[in-house]
Amino acid sequence: MMRRLLFNLMVWSAVLIVAFPLFWMVVTSLKPQLELWARPPAFLPIEPTVEHYVTLLQDTNFLVYFRNSIFLSTATTLVVIGVATLGAYSLVRFTYRGRESLAMLVLFTYLLPSVVLILPLYLMMVKLGLANTLFSLVLAYTTFALPYALWLLRSFMAGIPEDLESAALVDGASRMGAFRDVIFPQLLPGIISTALFTFILSWNEYLFALVLVNSDASRPLTTGVMNMLISSFNIEWSLLMAASVMMSVPLIIAFAFLQKYLTRGFGAGAVKG
Amino acid sequence: MSRSPQALLERRYARLGLLLIAPTIVVFCAVIVYPLLAAIYLSLFQLYTPTLEGSFVGISNYRDLLARGEFWISLRNTLVWTVGTLSLQIVLGIGMALMLHQAVWFRSLARSLILFPYFVSTVVAVLVWRWLFNDLYGILNHMLIGSGVVDMPVDYLGSMPNAMISMILVGAWKYFPFVVIAVLARLQTIPDALYEAARIDGAGPIARFFDVTLPQLRDVLVVIILLRAIWDFKEFDLIFLLTGGGPVISTQTLPLLVYKEAFALNQMGMAAAYAVVMMAIMLVFMIVYIRQTREKEAS
Amino acid sequence: MAGVTFSRVRKEFAGFLAVEGLDLTIEEGEFVSLLGPSGCGKTTTLRMLAGLEFPTSGEIRIGDRLVNDVPPGQRDIAMVFQSYALYPHMTVGRNMEYPLKKRGLPKAERKAKVAKAADMLQLTELLDRKPSQLSGGQQQRVALGRALVRDPQVFLLDEPLSNLDAKLRGYMRAELVELHARLGRTMVYVTHDQLEAMTMSNRIAIMLAGDLQQFAPPQEVYRRPANRFVASFIGTPSMNLIDGQLSRSDAGWHFTSPGLTLPVPALRDSAKAGDACLGVRPEHVHLGHGDLQAKVQLVEQTGHENIVVLDVAGGNRLTGRTPSSQVPQMSEAINYRIDSDQVHVFGPGDTGARLNADG
Repeated sequence: MMRRLLFNLMVWSAVLIVAFPLFWMVVTSLKPQLELWARPPAFLPIEPTVEHYVTLLQDTNFLVYFRNSIFLSTATTLVVIGVATLGAYSLVRFTYRGRESLAMLVLFTYLLPSVVLILPLYLMMVKLGLANTLFSLVLAYTTFALPYALWLLRSFMAGIPEDLESAALVDGASRMGAFRDVIFPQLLPGIISTALFTFILSWNEYLFALVLVNSDASRPLTTGVMNMLISSFNIEWSLLMAASVMMSVPLIIAFAFLQKYLTRGFGAGAVKG
Repeated sequence: MSRSPQALLERRYARLGLLLIAPTIVVFCAVIVYPLLAAIYLSLFQLYTPTLEGSFVGISNYRDLLARGEFWISLRNTLVWTVGTLSLQIVLGIGMALMLHQAVWFRSLARSLILFPYFVSTVVAVLVWRWLFNDLYGILNHMLIGSGVVDMPVDYLGSMPNAMISMILVGAWKYFPFVVIAVLARLQTIPDALYEAARIDGAGPIARFFDVTLPQLRDVLVVIILLRAIWDFKEFDLIFLLTGGGPVISTQTLPLLVYKEAFALNQMGMAAAYAVVMMAIMLVFMIVYIRQTREKEAS
Repeated sequence: MAGVTFSRVRKEFAGFLAVEGLDLTIEEGEFVSLLGPSGCGKTTTLRMLAGLEFPTSGEIRIGDRLVNDVPPGQRDIAMVFQSYALYPHMTVGRNMEYPLKKRGLPKAERKAKVAKAADMLQLTELLDRKPSQLSGGQQQRVALGRALVRDPQVFLLDEPLSNLDAKLRGYMRAELVELHARLGRTMVYVTHDQLEAMTMSNRIAIMLAGDLQQFAPPQEVYRRPANRFVASFIGTPSMNLIDGQLSRSDAGWHFTSPGLTLPVPALRDSAKAGDACLGVRPEHVHLGHGDLQAKVQLVEQTGHENIVVLDVAGGNRLTGRTPSSQVPQMSEAINYRIDSDQVHVFGPGDTGARLNADG
């Protein structure tokens, strides 16, 4: 019993150390400005306040950035999931020349560094007149999101017994009919977790947004919030922490409700390679 | 391979398969294959970013880059960062996975808390850590001074080697959950019978770890190390936001060098050359990883 | 009018020959088993018949219709898979209804047919359950039901019983035979279990490495196996196979192997003296009397009989059977006799042809 207690204490101290920065983020966002400069700092806010959240929403561009990020991540996710679901079906369940090489190309692009692609993409967007638009970011985000989603969905697809599709074909379905009636319902949990991951990846992306968009009207949260740090005269940490918390809200929601899907996707992506 | 003329159905299926993959191929060509080739092409030019005017210079960008000290310093920084943060991620990841594999109170809550740094945006992670690292009001300095470890505030990001160490630590904090989850998933598939057999053979907990757990984890660890090595090598956001490569260029890695050359120094051609060389170095890891995956799929 | 014909059907997978020049004619209403070890091409053959694999060359006909280019759903077949392949997200009823829906039958008719099939297979209580809530045996019956509702020309069954426990397997064997008798439809049944093939089929097609070895009724396969492979594959315990020499004298053919010399029955004209293989079923090795002698190596008592392994000289072993009342002692020297009219002689090699004149 004593050993068990000690072990639990050890594990939980490790967990709390890891989680401490996030705890501190929330605490800081709730502290009035004066308490920030207190020495020693209080562990919990003495007079908790939401004034920073109010400031954030009323006096800054935060809501514009937030809307941009929502639009951007949703659009990227929809495009990528649509293309990747069909692509994964093709890569796993059809035979044609070059299929294996294509699968390896997907894996290769999955590992490709963004900084290599960003230079020509920047030139391309400038030439097409798309620079500073959210659309340019949707295009750019497919460079990492599509290989990622394809690779993940491919392993989910491979996990669906081939016999199910065969049975549907024998029962009179066409290939696409079998996909709609049998494969898609089976793939749905995989699609949901892939979509979640794609959304999170797009939500968190920084480099493309930094290079391709340079106007407040179409800046997403990542570069927008960073801009608040750089452009402010004296850094208001409480405000930044409030922004960080708000920025993480979609993640927390995803976590709370969809943990099952998240870990499933994680397993498929990480362990099966 | 000879195809009989009668395999009509098979050909029809193959056509449908190609139709389904077609959107993927189009997108790939437009946003990946073309830019990749264009990057190599660009690296043969001297190109001024704001006006996009320049001239063909052949491989002289490459000759220059190899002669520059900055390239070699950045390469060294990249390697120090990658090896440092990756080793920490692996050690912490395995350790935490082993702990969370046991019966712990509120295990799923513990797992979620551990996972969170991985999913949180790098921007958020960096903001929080810069606040923790703050020299005057940061909690880290308070605690260190309060407990008497140091008597002057530590400058975490503005001096060396502190900046590199801080960066490696933040990188480990952000990315070790990946290792935790991957190892945890594998641990759950190790049959209990193996541990029982080892126990009957008289193996203690440490012997059981080295003789049973570690060999079982070998395959998944190879995959994790390769993947994380590739990702850490190309990491941009975390370093750019945390230190910006500073002080001076002491923590400047290759991706940052590419960015600086292209968008701060406006030398697009030179930046492309850096990017191509960086990719060539990564290619080694990528090929090993792809070969590993292909073998695993074949078996 | 719906038998099945394979003519010169070949199937290659990337450099690997799965089925080689298969000629096979299955009569209408016949129950035929495709039997062989794993990798012999039996499942590939069935999947080609279903339209799930495509022959590299050759023709497949169902009735008179050439079906090479006909999609699976239009071949008028139904298939039961080894894994059952029940659609996990549909209820039992919807699973059974699916093929009817795909054929565009009106709802009322669909319900009626499902109800009838469910009644036949005692599935009526389970119609609203999901497959995951069923036992293995119930899932198996649902898979069968989904095939039944369509009333197809040909039933394809791919090792449908292999995931059931032994007792249920025996029960389902009888059930399937009864079903075949009732429906009178052509059934093609893939299995690696010779007992299933022997007990259920009108004819058995035995395959090895993509090649058809023999296609004949069960008793014929048992009594006159076409070659050494078929002989070894059919029967439990399996036939004794002893390598030795064949020689001819005025008195007829003789077989010799260390510790064993035996006259053999009339052989074909093509038989040659030299290396050969003797095949003896355990029931034709009679223990306790006779002029041959060997040491008892092992006795397995199964209850109603004993399986006795004899150590003949030179490393040769012979398996024989004794009634349960006669239990030989281990290591005991025992007399025995071989029914020399009942022995088989095979040419050399793993698939050496049977040389007996009665074949």
